[in-house]
Amino acid sequence: MRKFLTRSLAVSAVALVALSTAACGSSDRDDSSTGASGGAAKGFAKDALIGVALPSKTSENWVLAGDLFTNGLKDAGFKSDVQYAGASTTVADQQSQISSMVTKGAKVIVIGATDAAQLGTQVKQAKDSGAIVIAYDRLITGTADLDYYVAFDNFKVGQLQGQALLDGMKAKKPTGPWTIELFSGSPDDNNAGVFFNGAMDVLKPLIDKGDLIVGSGQKDVKQTAIQGWKAEGAQSRMDTIMTSTYAKGDKTLDGVLSPNDTLARAIITSVKAAGKPVPVVTGQDSEVESVKSIMAGEQYSTINKDTRKLVAETINMVKALQGGGEPTINDTKSYNNGVKVVPSYLLPPVIVTKANAAEAYANDPKLSPLTK
Amino acid sequence: MSRFKDLQKNLFGGTTSNARQFTMIFTLVAIILLFQWLTDGLTLNSGNLISLTQQYAYISVLSIGMLMVIVAGHIDLSVGSIAAFVGIIVAKSIRDGGVPWWVGILIGLGVGAVIGAWQGFWVAYIGVPAFIVTLAGMLIFRGGNQYIGNAETVAVPKAFTQIGAGYLPEWGPNTGYNNSTLILGLVACLAVVWREFQSRKTRRQMEAEQSPMWVSVLRMAIMVAVIVFATLRFAGGRVGTSFPISGCILAVLVIAYSFYTRNTAGGRHIYAVGGNARAAELSGVKLRRVNFFVIMNMSILAALAGMIFVARSGASGPQDGLSWELDAIAAVFIGGAAVAGGIGTVSGSIVGGLVMAVLKNGLQLLGIGTDREQIIRGLFLLLAVALDVYNKSQGRFSIIGSIMRPFRRQENTDPAAPNQAGQESIKAPVGG
Repeated sequence: MRKFLTRSLAVSAVALVALSTAACGSSDRDDSSTGASGGAAKGFAKDALIGVALPSKTSENWVLAGDLFTNGLKDAGFKSDVQYAGASTTVADQQSQISSMVTKGAKVIVIGATDAAQLGTQVKQAKDSGAIVIAYDRLITGTADLDYYVAFDNFKVGQLQGQALLDGMKAKKPTGPWTIELFSGSPDDNNAGVFFNGAMDVLKPLIDKGDLIVGSGQKDVKQTAIQGWKAEGAQSRMDTIMTSTYAKGDKTLDGVLSPNDTLARAIITSVKAAGKPVPVVTGQDSEVESVKSIMAGEQYSTINKDTRKLVAETINMVKALQGGGEPTINDTKSYNNGVKVVPSYLLPPVIVTKANAAEAYANDPKLSPLTK
Repeated sequence: MSRFKDLQKNLFGGTTSNARQFTMIFTLVAIILLFQWLTDGLTLNSGNLISLTQQYAYISVLSIGMLMVIVAGHIDLSVGSIAAFVGIIVAKSIRDGGVPWWVGILIGLGVGAVIGAWQGFWVAYIGVPAFIVTLAGMLIFRGGNQYIGNAETVAVPKAFTQIGAGYLPEWGPNTGYNNSTLILGLVACLAVVWREFQSRKTRRQMEAEQSPMWVSVLRMAIMVAVIVFATLRFAGGRVGTSFPISGCILAVLVIAYSFYTRNTAGGRHIYAVGGNARAAELSGVKLRRVNFFVIMNMSILAALAGMIFVARSGASGPQDGLSWELDAIAAVFIGGAAVAGGIGTVSGSIVGGLVMAVLKNGLQLLGIGTDREQIIRGLFLLLAVALDVYNKSQGRFSIIGSIMRPFRRQENTDPAAPNQAGQESIKAPVGG
């Protein structure tokens, strides 16, 4: 009997503690959460938190974008949380960062995706919590919960790169055929394929006609891709091509299609190391080193996608959403992410060569001095 | 004996205890409370606890296997690559091969087992150090991932994503909470109470020293309170969310592997091999079989972790699994395992992983960038292990093994026990 008594005493003591804890716990399951499905028409507080999740700091552009977002959102009166993914665990970092932003109650989450297809769960989580999700620069695929996409017209970027490559080679050697090599960006970045397709839109007819010859024969996007946009990847691929195709000297390399500046410089380094003359190399992003290289006559072209304009446009979207309005959209059919066509705002890119550099960068405090 | 001494001695078990014994759990509680305060209550918010569990489940699945590998005196560097390799095979066979999602999971586990057998063969039967075998595996399977996937990202169907991003079902009356989670919490509470009475009974039968009844009650009350709190938090999130399915998978694995490593001959053999391989072999432990098993087991768990991550991401990508091995190894060492092998517990590794996860999550909630976050976590890892090493060299009780002390039999009640670390490795073969 006594044993029974102590036991039941013990159990009831435990139960008491449990109940008192239960009293302190509170449920988040109120009716306001159903408002998430009601659409974005209502707007939100003027000083709401805006989350910005960017990829790792692999190019100057992302670093600049982060600073611009921090300052721009502050000037617009919002609270901001700007986060970069780590260098080695990019996808997992970005996933947990977006979750954290949702926890903190961000009203709009701007995402520059590391991997276009691996954020569906977090985008849904954000949407369910009532936040509006904007894909910045890189489309997020395979999710119905993405609200808007803001970017430069990337197909146009590819076309401009292809045209610049042709123009540059014609200027050096008026008649073909020309020998070229093709590079494309990271296969997990949705944009990489768009750039490449844009460029091939210009180059493919000439390759088929025989005016352009791909020296190494590597024309497929799977062969040309550089994982993670890594300079070392481009450099080692170019090293291999120089050895396998151009070492004997029976072929001269006239041009290289490079999707961005980081890879362009790596390609030029590799060609120089092989002791060959620098071919016409395209680029993109207007990185400082590449602008210097263009002015020095090495890299041929880059693309000016003014990050300031893109960030400013994104912040305009956030402001429109804050007031409960619809942001400006200029494209409702080009960007299908596999589940839906994402309403987009596309800005026009500008090609920059030595000839128009001074004019193109006139408003850029960092690049303008380099062009004089 | 004063009440205070009673408490100190018996609350979490252990007879040679002092305050250091609780360091790990104290650290965890302290970090949680610190961030709870710094983030204005966001850390223990329902939504955050749920995403924290999802973020940390796959790393913890790895650290269970890694603990056994490290206890056996090896290391496995290939887990991230294996996870990525299995992930792409599963995603491709579902998308291109058209197999149902559950067959995909079986294929994944099968591939994991085959890889494990391959690596286990080299380690156990050829005698190549695990460091080398798994370094090779890291390259082989990373390359395999890229070869099979063409470095593309391959999406998986909705049904498959449940194991990484899914929740327990909603049913029954509207209680304001997720009923499935409530049931789960209730079962956990009953299990805690039942185990406490069970262990008292065992100790009475063994005529071991009983801790006073009020300490038992206090211990139960604390654990039940924690469970009730967690249950209500997990059950009280947004409608449609609950304790994550990935968390359930982890919980089942933790219970199963804790039991295996603590209470079965096979599990104790791992400690014996890690403590002193020669002595273990002479006392009849099948050295090769144990080594083969731990390496193979690790690969299977890595396959599972890879699939959970793919499910959570909705797709298998070329960057999956990058530096996971480091996260898993860090969790195991923070959880008190010894680099030389022979020492460590599954639950310790889980707590170690949890500490790192809460630290990372808290820093993210504070808006601290990944650059500084990595520095802080690196320093934390160093200090946590340094403290443990220092304690051991001073002959004090180390954090190691203290975490799950109440579940171990107390053979030696001599307070003058010389060096706990040495004692553990000697004790190990006896236990088997």
